[in-house]
Formats: sequence, structure tokens, C-alpha cells
Amino acid sequence: MEFVIVTYPGGRPVNIDDAPAGSTNEVLELDAGTHKFDLGLPADYDPSSQEVAVEGTNALAPLKIAFRKKGG
Amino acid sequence: MRAQTLLRGAALALLLSLGACGSFQVNPPLAAYDPAAGYRFENLAHDDNSDGLFVILVFSGGGTRAAALSYGVLEALRDTTIRWQGRTKALLDEVDVISSISGGSFTAAYYALRGARTFEEFPGRFLYRPVQSDLIKSALSPEGLLKLAGPTYGRSDLAAEFYGREVFGGATYATLISQHRRPFVILNATDMTTGTQFPFVQDQFDLLCSDLSGVPLARAVAASSAFPGGLTPLTFRNYAGSCGYRQPGWVELAHKDHASRINVRRTARADTRLSYTAAGEDAREYIHLTDGGVADNIGLREPLTAITSIDNSWSVLRLIDLKKVDKLVVIVVNAATSPAVERDKSPDVPGLIDTVTAAADVPLDNYSFDTLELLRKAVNEFNEPARLISGCKALAAARSPQCALAIPAPHPIDFFAIEVAFEYLDSPEERRWFKNLPTTLELPRETVDKLRLVGRRLLSEDREFQRLRQVLHGCAGGRC
Repeated sequence: MEFVIVTYPGGRPVNIDDAPAGSTNEVLELDAGTHKFDLGLPADYDPSSQEVAVEGTNALAPLKIAFRKKGG
Repeated sequence: MRAQTLLRGAALALLLSLGACGSFQVNPPLAAYDPAAGYRFENLAHDDNSDGLFVILVFSGGGTRAAALSYGVLEALRDTTIRWQGRTKALLDEVDVISSISGGSFTAAYYALRGARTFEEFPGRFLYRPVQSDLIKSALSPEGLLKLAGPTYGRSDLAAEFYGREVFGGATYATLISQHRRPFVILNATDMTTGTQFPFVQDQFDLLCSDLSGVPLARAVAASSAFPGGLTPLTFRNYAGSCGYRQPGWVELAHKDHASRINVRRTARADTRLSYTAAGEDAREYIHLTDGGVADNIGLREPLTAITSIDNSWSVLRLIDLKKVDKLVVIVVNAATSPAVERDKSPDVPGLIDTVTAAADVPLDNYSFDTLELLRKAVNEFNEPARLISGCKALAAARSPQCALAIPAPHPIDFFAIEVAFEYLDSPEERRWFKNLPTTLELPRETVDKLRLVGRRLLSEDREFQRLRQVLHGCAGGRC
């Protein structure tokens, strides 16, 4: 099992591989591999999506995937 | 002249009989891919069945032995009352998914179709019937022999017709869709070419651009229980490319991981999916399915993928990340046997049949052992984060109260892995008796009754099931 935190200034839903999979700023569990992360609509964030190879994480050191507000 | 007439007559009879030869029942094409329609987990209503308590049942293969054992477990779950979210209800009414193989698929499919009426009907319609003898009679009848003469019609096609007529009343997946209720029942067969599970769900049939709603439930059960040798594989048409289907995004991502080998299991799953939609020289126009037990005789691999991957079509891991699941229960009903053999009592070189049988059975048994180990590993993986984080917090707090750590943790779940298997019977004599039962579609009534009872007993004796009952204030047979 792998662990990620998708960070964003504020709570909002997270999509992993084009489907809802939890919320920002929380630890999410997923299987290892290349995954696509985005925050759905409204698309007021950057980058619009990220493809990340997730491996070698653990619960104490989740991989951080950062999104920021557009223009912020 | 007379001989010529006779020859002409014989030729005409042969032509007529060839015309009457059987041909497999073709699965219908899908007009247009529609993820909101069809037999899918998310399309089934669950008003009275919460996600918070997520229960998965797994029914193994093993002919009528497996069907009766899993039926006994269903009876026990019906009779186990729990308190959940302020209501008293049967634990059976909280079952979300059933994944089954071969003999276990008869029970699973019947319960999907008839719900609570299963308990009045199923023993008489299947468990107590001499199905094997009836199938042989059907195959040896003039009509059966004529049908079997066709190259695209096998003994499993005949069996599917028999099950449809005698057990499932001609129901198709459209009936299950119209009932619109959980549990989501996954009957698993094996794709002979990829060697992987072939689950009878619309997500799988999307790959073939075929409409599962037009497939008889009996045909799915026949594919799941097409025991190699005795029964033949079943054929399905692949219309891939004709319905506007697109592979989900994860397939391409996983396919990119070939060289990096980050998750070879996920990449292999992606490759299997891509094999169905391949075009040109690699196109697979027909898919041949054999017994689900060839790929996984427990029926646990598909649920394990759903529990440990966010990319499964009914991913439980996704539901956990969405904080919808608090308690996850997996009940494995494993009717595996290990019949006594005489070979070690003699110095003679084992014969061909004995050697070939061992070559087929031993890897399957080892694979089943590993499958169950994967379940235990999954439980550990879910418990590990909480253990790690609480350990760190305790270490920090021991140094100084000011060292208290705020470590974010994934959504915690309570995971109950429950196993019903003859292996866990205490008495060696009783264990030996059950582990020497044959794999057949016909058992004496008293044997069926013993299997039903032992299923109940093994469930109630399982320590994790006892913990579950305690957590859910469960009662069974007046005992709480």
C-alpha cells in the first residue's frame, strides 16, 4: 500500500485516475504505480493535473502532491 | 438403383442432422457504451445496506460440496442479528458483494436472483438434485447427441441450457439489473488464453462491446463451473471496437509502468484488458471461458484487487479513501479438500493419470494457499499505519509531554478476515471425512445436510467472526 497527501489551500475533493478518491490535505491510500491526480471542477488550480509515479511511501512519510490556486 | 436411393437418403439424413447440430448461444452486442447502465456495483441500490459495514462473501469451487457449504453460511448469516446504525437486522442484509467460483456460483447466482426465497427453493432445485446424472442423461439423449455433434456446441452449452431450464428459470442478467439491489454478485470464469479471471459484470463485457443484460444467468454459472475434462469451455463473441468504449485512464498509465516495474500486477491487469480490445492481427474474435477454478479456485482474487487497488471497477479502497467504509468484512467459504491417496503405500512408479492429476492439482492448491496469505497480508497492511503512528506517538510522548506528535493518518477501518474451511475442524476424523468428499454435482441428501451444518458451525467458531459479532452486538440462535 502507498500513501499520498494531495495538498491545496483548502479542502476539496481529489480525483485519482479520473474518479473521486477522497479530499485534499488528508492521507489517502492507493496501490503503487503511475497515477493521475486532479481536483476536478472548478478548474481554478495549477497544474491542471499531475501524473506521478507513486512508490516507496509509508504512513509516516506520505508522498506530497501539491496544487496551488490559479494566479495565487 | 436401390443402393443409390439408399445412399441419397442417408446423405439427406446426414445433411438434416448436421443442420440440427447445436451452436452456442451468442451473447448480444452492446449498442453503445454507457457507464450508467448495466450490471455494475454502483448501479445497484443500497438503501437498507450501508457502505459503513462493507461485507464481501467469497464462495470457492468444489461442485455441490461447495454449493452446500456456502448455502450453510448464508443460512447462518440470515440467522445472525446485529445492531448497526441504530437498527437491528440480519447480517445477511448487510452483504454488499459475493464473488464466486464454480460450485459456489450456483449458490451465489441463486441468491442474487431469488434473495430470501433462496432458503425455500434452492435445496430442492439444486442441492438435493442428482444434477450430474441428469446432465449425463441429457447428453446421451438423441437430442443431446445431435446438438453435441456441432463443432461450436459443447457439453457446457448443454449444461447451461439444463441449468437455465431446471434451476434458474431462464433468468438473464436483465432480471438482476431490474431488481436493482445488492449484493453485487460476481460469477468468475477463467479466460483460457490469458489465464486470468473473467468476471461476469458489465465492466468486463464493455471490453467485448457485449450487453451482459442479455446473457442468461445459467450460462454464466455454466462458464464458472465448466470443470475441465468433464465439461467443455464456453464461447463468447467479442465485438470490441463497435460500441464506442474507451479504456479507463488507469489502463494507459499502468501500461506505461512496464519498464519501471512499479506495480507489475497492475500492469498485467491493464495488459489483460487491452488484449480484449486489440485490433488487427491481435484481435480476439471469440473468447473461450473455462472453470473459474483454473485461475483462482477460492474466488478471492477479484475482491483482493478491489480492496488493495483504486482502479478496480468496484474499488473498496476508493470507498475507504472517501471515508464511506468503517468496517470491512471478508468471509471466505473454502470447500477445498485433500483426498487421501494410496501412492505412498507402494514403491511402484505412479501412473500417468496420477501424475497428470497431481501436476494439475498441486499448483492450484499452492496458488489457493498463497491467495489466502494475500488476504492476511492485506489485513496487516491496513492495520500497519495505525500501529506505526501510535508507536511513534508513544515514543515521542515518552521523551516528554511536549513532544506530542500530530501525525495525519489514513481513514482507519476495522478489517475482519473470516475463513470457513474443513481445515479448521478440530476433530481429525471429522476433518478427514469432509476433506475426502468428492467434487461432483450430486451428493446424498444427508451429506448435503452435514455440509450445511458444518458451514454454520465453522463460521460461528471463527475467532474473527466472534469478534465481529461482539462489535456488532450480534446474536445467533438466541446466543449473543
